[in-house]
Parts: sequence; structure tokens; C-alpha cells
Amino acid sequence: MSDEIDFDEILGKYHSDPYEYVDIFAEHTGKVRFLTEEGSTVEAVSGEWKHIPGTPLLEITRERNPKQITSPTNGVIASVNSNLEGSFVEAGEKLMTIRHPLKKKEIIECILKEVLYVFPAPERAKYFFSLDIQSRIDKKSAKEVSVKPGDDIIIMSLMKRDTPVYYDGEAGVIHSVYFKPGVSVQQGAPLIGVCPVEKVPLIKKVITRVKADWDKNEVSTV
Amino acid sequence: MSLNDLTSLTPQALAEYTTSVEQPVRLRETAAAQDILRYGAGVGSVIQLYPCLDRAMQQARLHISSSEKNGTSVADGTVILATSLNASKGRFDRVWHAPPGGLWGCLILADTFLPAFRHFLSFIPGIACCEALIQEGAVSAEIRWVNDVLAAGKKQAGFLIEGFRSPMHGEDYHLLGFGINVNNNSFPAELQESAGSLAGELGRSVNLHTFALSFLAKLRWYVGLLVFEEREWLARGGGEAYEDEHPLLRRWKELADTLGKDVVFGYDVLSSPQYQARAVELACDGALVLRHADGTTSTEHSGEIRYVENSHIA
Repeated sequence: MSDEIDFDEILGKYHSDPYEYVDIFAEHTGKVRFLTEEGSTVEAVSGEWKHIPGTPLLEITRERNPKQITSPTNGVIASVNSNLEGSFVEAGEKLMTIRHPLKKKEIIECILKEVLYVFPAPERAKYFFSLDIQSRIDKKSAKEVSVKPGDDIIIMSLMKRDTPVYYDGEAGVIHSVYFKPGVSVQQGAPLIGVCPVEKVPLIKKVITRVKADWDKNEVSTV
Repeated sequence: MSLNDLTSLTPQALAEYTTSVEQPVRLRETAAAQDILRYGAGVGSVIQLYPCLDRAMQQARLHISSSEKNGTSVADGTVILATSLNASKGRFDRVWHAPPGGLWGCLILADTFLPAFRHFLSFIPGIACCEALIQEGAVSAEIRWVNDVLAAGKKQAGFLIEGFRSPMHGEDYHLLGFGINVNNNSFPAELQESAGSLAGELGRSVNLHTFALSFLAKLRWYVGLLVFEEREWLARGGGEAYEDEHPLLRRWKELADTLGKDVVFGYDVLSSPQYQARAVELACDGALVLRHADGTTSTEHSGEIRYVENSHIA
């Protein structure tokens, strides 16, 4: 992570294109049938328990077992790899892209994810902090709790099997927590963002600058 | 010998029981029974019996750590048993009462399972325990997702599965803690409504030694089945994900009374119940599919349920 950030460049990028482009890949091999088209508006999963699925995007069929893939986020379909319609695809093949409009908070998170060490979920499961880390968070705040490689910081809970997850990133303080206890996290989704202690002032500067700049911009456009 | 005496519970006794009692039954189910039992033979190949421990899980951690320190290896399938536990607890630090008369212990399994198959570990203790209870005569024993074992609505057994990484060599283990109420028939006030025992269910005491052999032999069988099915799946070509119906899940469905029931779900359902829904399906990875009143579904991979009486979920 660089000590110097070109705020004008980063903010300019988000001002000119305040979107996140979410690529949808084939989860497994199978024959693809698209259920939406370029320019369509899609909705994210919703409901109090995240039980109302997002807009159906496509269906992928393997061994006569069709699986519907729904939108993980809201936005507009920016592109569809429509030449794959009806074709057999390999796992990991990019099928479409959703353009998701970013809110100020999301823009801050996007910028932070570029400068923090983001520790991902090893499996689709529910996660919670280990007892030691949780008690330290309760006493202070996550931003004052430091972690180092080898620490068992998080417990992964899957089918009533609790497995410690060992941190393997750079040492630092827990700046961002991306999971909620008891809520499922997809494999590879970020769990925490860690910042080396000496870089904390830089992170604060990022947040202050983005907030001020965005607020100013919103006011000026009213 | 007292009915609660476990001192003659040795690996040899377990091997003899497996050959003479478990294997003939399993041979009637499948021609691969001997293969499966060979894969599971590590379970109970070392048995450590203590008169009293604080927690069997903690003893397992100490055993792994001290074995490393002494330059010895831990036998995969080591079973640690205690006549009673002083500081036993369930998930979320819930009270678990473990006086003499119950079967209290921990099975140590090295983490040699394929990622797609680890999910199924959680089903093993519930199935093995439920079968052992039924074999002893508790015909009303049933499983509640994932692995709670109930008889006449009362919880007979509880299981904890925790991961542990050895401190020196970084070997990963699964510690499968088990607590089964066998002859212990009195419970603290806070558990009297919800807990029951095999003796209470049958109206008589049972031979704990024989029950332990039965339970451990079934653990042998199901751990063996897990490894055997990994081999079969790889022989069929493996793939990106295991999407067949695992034999463990087939057996679970035969023993469980969860599907079709209205339930309240929560990650910690006693202190933080989240929602009510109907349990409608077991996904191929063991997740529970719950249908809400509005017809939408949630697929839960972790958490717990309690049955709801007189519910009106459509």
C-alpha cells in the first residue's frame, strides 16, 4: 500500500463513473440460457432474512439439473455474453456484467478495499470473531484490535462444525468488518479489512476526503 | 461389574464387537461393508479413559499438543472418554450436565477429508447415536437437523465439532465431542424440561459398556462410509462439487423427523430466534431448505432449529 494517494485521480474516477461492475461467472459447467438482456434493470436479493431472491439472470443446466442464477446486486445489465446462449460453458466463464450504482458509503468501501488487506471467507459459511478477539472488540473497538499472521481471529461455523480461521495477511488493526454474526457469507467474500498501524492516518484521510468531496459534489448538484 | 463401568472398553473389545455384531448387520446392507469398516477402523483404535475431566475436548487439545512436544504422533480416531465431566458445556456455552452414567467423550479425527465432504461430518454423530439408541430399544429416537437426538421430544444427546490446529506442526484436526445421556437420569432444574436419558426412556438402566461399543462401532461405520464415498466419487471422476445424494444424508432422512415440520430458525435459536418457516428439503450438501409463509425459501448451512407446535405456516 502506497503512502501517497492521488485523491484527485481516485475521486475523479468515481465521479466520472460512479458504478461498480459486477461480473457474473458460470458457477459450474453446464448449458446456459439467459433470462435477461442488456439494459434490463435487476434487483438484488432482499427480505429481512435475505430470502427473496434477486432478479433471475440465467439458468445453467448440468446433467438435467437446471440451476437458476439470480442477481446478487441491483443495477442495470451492462453486457451479456449472448453468443453463449444455449452453449455448454466451463466453470468460471464470464457470462454477463451488472452495472451497480454506488452510494457514498460504498465508494468509501471500494477505495478502502484497494488500500486495506482484505481477508476473504474460505468457505460459504457463517462467521463470528473468536472469543479473544470479540472480548477485545467489546472492550475497545475493532479499529483498536490488532491482528497478526497465525492468529485465530474468526470462527467459521458450518453445519454446527466450528473451525478456527487463521489470519494470514499483514499485521495491523481491524479497520473494516464486512460480516455480521449469524449471516451467511459467500466463499471469497471479504470478512475483514486490515490496516497496518502506521497507515491508519492515511485511511482516515481517505474517508474524510471522500466524504467531504462527495458531500460538496452532492450539494453543488442540487 | 457396575452397569456404568467402562474400564474394559478397550480397542480390542471394540474390534471384537465390530466384527461380531456390527459387521454382520452392515453386510446385509452392502457388499462393501468390510471395505467401509476398514476405512473407519481408526475410530477407537486408541481409547483413553479418565475417571473425571473438566472437558473431553480440552483433553483432546492437550493430547495433540503434548504428543507433538514429545515427538509422537496422534492416532487418527483416538477416543477420549471420561466417567464424568466437571466443566462440560454445549454450544454457545450452554449448560451441559455430565455426571457418571452418561457417555462423555471426544473423537479426534485428522482433517484428511476432501473439502466437499467435510460438511457431512456433522451428520455422523447424530446418526450413530440415534441408531445406538434404537438398537438399545429407544424406538422413538429421532434426529433434529443437524445432529440433535431426541426421544419423546427430549434431547438425549448433544454433539460439538470443533476444528483445532496443532501448535507446532500446524496439523488440522476435527474434535468431535459427544455427550449422551444414558443412565444419568436426573438433571438440573434448567434442563429438566428439555433433557432426557436412555434409561428414562426405557424405564430401566442399560449396560454403558455395551452401549459405548455400539455407538463407537457405528461411528466407525459412518466415518468409514464418508471416506469410502470419497473414494467412489473420485473413481466416478470427481468434479467441481459433490452433487449426488450422499448415503449419510439418505440415512439421516430415514432417522430424522425434521422435514415437513414447522420450525423456528436461528444461529443461536434459544437466545436469538430469527424466523419461523417450514423445513421442506435437505439440500445435497446437507443444508436445510426452509419455506417461508410467502412461499420463498431460505437455505441454511449453519444454525439450529426448534420445532413449533400449532404453527400455521402454509
